[in-house]
Amino acid sequence: MRDLFLGLTFMLLGAVVVTVASQYPTMASLQYGPSLFPSLIGGGFLIGGLVISVTQLLTLKSQLLGAGASIRTALDFRSILVSLLPCGLIIFYIFASEFLGAALCLGVIMFVLMLVRRTSLPLALCVSLIASLIIYFLFARYLLIPLPTGLLNFWG
Amino acid sequence: MEVFLLGLQLVLNVETLLVILAAALFGVFVGAVPGLTATMAVALLVPITFYMDPVPAIAAIVTTSAMAIFAGDIPATYLNIPGTPSSAAYVSDSHLLACKGRARETLGMNLICSVFGGLFGTVILVFVAPSLAEVALQFSSFEYFWLALLGLSCSIFIAIGSRVKAFLSLMIGLLLSTVGLDMMSGAPRFTFGIPDLMGGVNFIPVMIGMFALNELMLFYGSSDEGKRLPSLSKDSVFSLAPKHIKEYWPNMVRGSSIGTLIGALPGAGADIAAWISYAVGKSRSKEKQAYGTGHLEGIVDASSANNSGISGAWVPALVFGIPGDSITAIVIGVLYMKGMNPGPTIFMDGTGLIYALFIVFFIANLVMLPIGFAAIKFAKVFILAPRKILMPIILCFCLVGAFSINNSLTDVWIMLIIGFLASILARCEFPMAPAILGLVLGTTLENSFMSSMLKTNGDMLSFFSRPISAGLGALVILLWISPLLTMVYKKLKNNHRQKALRIS
Repeated sequence: MRDLFLGLTFMLLGAVVVTVASQYPTMASLQYGPSLFPSLIGGGFLIGGLVISVTQLLTLKSQLLGAGASIRTALDFRSILVSLLPCGLIIFYIFASEFLGAALCLGVIMFVLMLVRRTSLPLALCVSLIASLIIYFLFARYLLIPLPTGLLNFWG
Repeated sequence: MEVFLLGLQLVLNVETLLVILAAALFGVFVGAVPGLTATMAVALLVPITFYMDPVPAIAAIVTTSAMAIFAGDIPATYLNIPGTPSSAAYVSDSHLLACKGRARETLGMNLICSVFGGLFGTVILVFVAPSLAEVALQFSSFEYFWLALLGLSCSIFIAIGSRVKAFLSLMIGLLLSTVGLDMMSGAPRFTFGIPDLMGGVNFIPVMIGMFALNELMLFYGSSDEGKRLPSLSKDSVFSLAPKHIKEYWPNMVRGSSIGTLIGALPGAGADIAAWISYAVGKSRSKEKQAYGTGHLEGIVDASSANNSGISGAWVPALVFGIPGDSITAIVIGVLYMKGMNPGPTIFMDGTGLIYALFIVFFIANLVMLPIGFAAIKFAKVFILAPRKILMPIILCFCLVGAFSINNSLTDVWIMLIIGFLASILARCEFPMAPAILGLVLGTTLENSFMSSMLKTNGDMLSFFSRPISAGLGALVILLWISPLLTMVYKKLKNNHRQKALRIS
C-alpha cells in the first residue's frame, strides 16, 4: 500500500515537473533548451511511478484473492511523531534563533531530545548546556560563523 | 622528484599530522557507535574542512572514512550490530566468534585485513590513476557525457534491492541538479523566486540531510537504544594473526582486488564490495558450509574488500571527476570548494598536491594500526556510548554545519526538506547512493550534452563519431540491454535443458 501511494506521488511529481519545464524558454540556435533535461526527468518520474504503482496493485490483487488474506498496516503513530521531532526542532531553530540566539536554541533542542529518550534531568541539563556552548564557541568564535547571538547580546 | 618532495612537505607538517590524528580518533568513534555511518561522519566533517587548507581537508576525510569502516567491526563483533553498513556482510561470523571468546582475535584480524586492503587499494590508485589521467586528457564533452551516463547507469544496476526505486532515487538527484540558472540560456529553473537557489542547490546541506538527519529521524522513530551489555573478552589481539595470515593470504589479496574494482564503479561503495567479496569467497572456499557460523575466512574476504573499496572509489573521482561512492561524491564537492577541479588536469598540477594526496592515503591506512589496536583494547568505551546523548549533539552539528556553508538559513531549510524526504524514502527501501550520484553528475551530464549539441548543431550521431566516445556509448547501451540479454539467455538455457530432458 505504501509503495502504491509513493508510486502515485512520483507520477504526480513527474506531471508537475513536465508542466513547469514546458514553460521554460526555447533557444533560437538549438532545438534543445533548458526544458529538455527537466522534461526527461519528469518523464522518468512518470514511468518509474507507474511501474511501482502497477506492481503494487498486482501484489495487492493477489493478496486479496488469497484465502484469508487480510491487509492491515500497523502504524505506530507515536513513533512517527517522535521521528518528526528533529524536523520540528529544526523549524524551531529557524524561527527562534534570531531572537533567542543560536546557543540557547541549540541547548533547548538538545535538552528536549534527551528528555524524549528518557535521559535523567540533571544529565540532560548539564550535557545540553556544555555541548551548546562548545558548539557555539567552536563555530562562532573559532570558525567565525555569524551565528545569531540573540539574548546573549543583552548580557554582552 | 621535486614535485614528490613538495607533496611530502604538504603532508609532513604539524597541522596536517594533527588533523590526521584527530580525524582517526573521530573516525574510530563514529564507526564504533552503532547507527553512525562513515558517510555521515564525512558529511558532518565537511563544514569544518571548509576552513582548512586543501591537503589537511582531504586528509581529514580520507582518514575518517578509512577508520570508520574498520571501527564498524567493533560493535558488529561485540553486539551483533554493524557500526557501519560495510560490516554487515560478516556480522554474524564476527559475533559468533566473539561468543566463543575470540572477539579480540577477530578484531585483530579485521584490523590487519583493513590495513592491507586500504594499502592495496592505495597502490592501485597510485599506479593506475596517473596512466588513466593521460588517456582522460584526450576526452571532450562527448566522452564525458557517456562517462557520466555510465556512472549513473551503474548506480542503478549495482544498487541493492529494487532497480525501479534506484532509478527514481537517481531522478530525484538529477532533478536537484537542475535547480538554478541554466548554463546555456541563463533561465532560472525551479528557483521559486528564492535568490539563494539561483546558483543551484548546495551540495553539503543535501548530504547532511540525506545521511545525518535521515539517520536521526530513523533513530527517534525506533525504540532501540542499542544498550545490550556485551561480553567483553580478554584474548590476545595479534598473537594468532601470523597463523591466520599464512592460511588466508590469498583471501586477503582476492578480497582487496575485488574491493578496489567494485569501489571504482560509480555508485558501489564499501558495503557492496564487502557483500560481493564475501559471496565470491564463499563460492570458492573449501569450507563453504562454515561461512556464517563464526568462520574467519569470510571475515578476511569482506574486511579486506571494504577498506580497499574506499581507496578504489578515488580512482574515477580523481581521474574523471566521477565519484565511486557516497564519500567520494562528498569529496568532489569539497575539491570544487577548494578550487581544485577533479579531473585529469589535477595530475598535471606542479604543486605536488596529487603526491600529497597519495601520501595521505598511505599515512591514513598505516595510522589505522596503532589507533585501531587501542580501539580494540578500549572497545567498551565506544560500544556503550549512549546514543540518546550523542544524537541530539549530532543534530546541533547538522544545523550549524548546514548554516555555516553560506551563512544562510536557506541551506538549513534544504537540509530539513531533503532529510525529511530521505527518511520517507529510506523507510520505503529506496537506495540513497543513486540520488547523490544524480546530484553530482547531473550538471556534468547536462552541460556535456548541451555543449556537444552546440558544437555539432544538434547532430546526435556525433556521440558515436569519436572512437573512445563510440566505445563508451556501446558500453552504456550494452549495460542497458544486459537485463534483456540475461533474460533471453536464461530462457534459451531453460528450453535447451527441457529438450534434453525430453530426449533422455
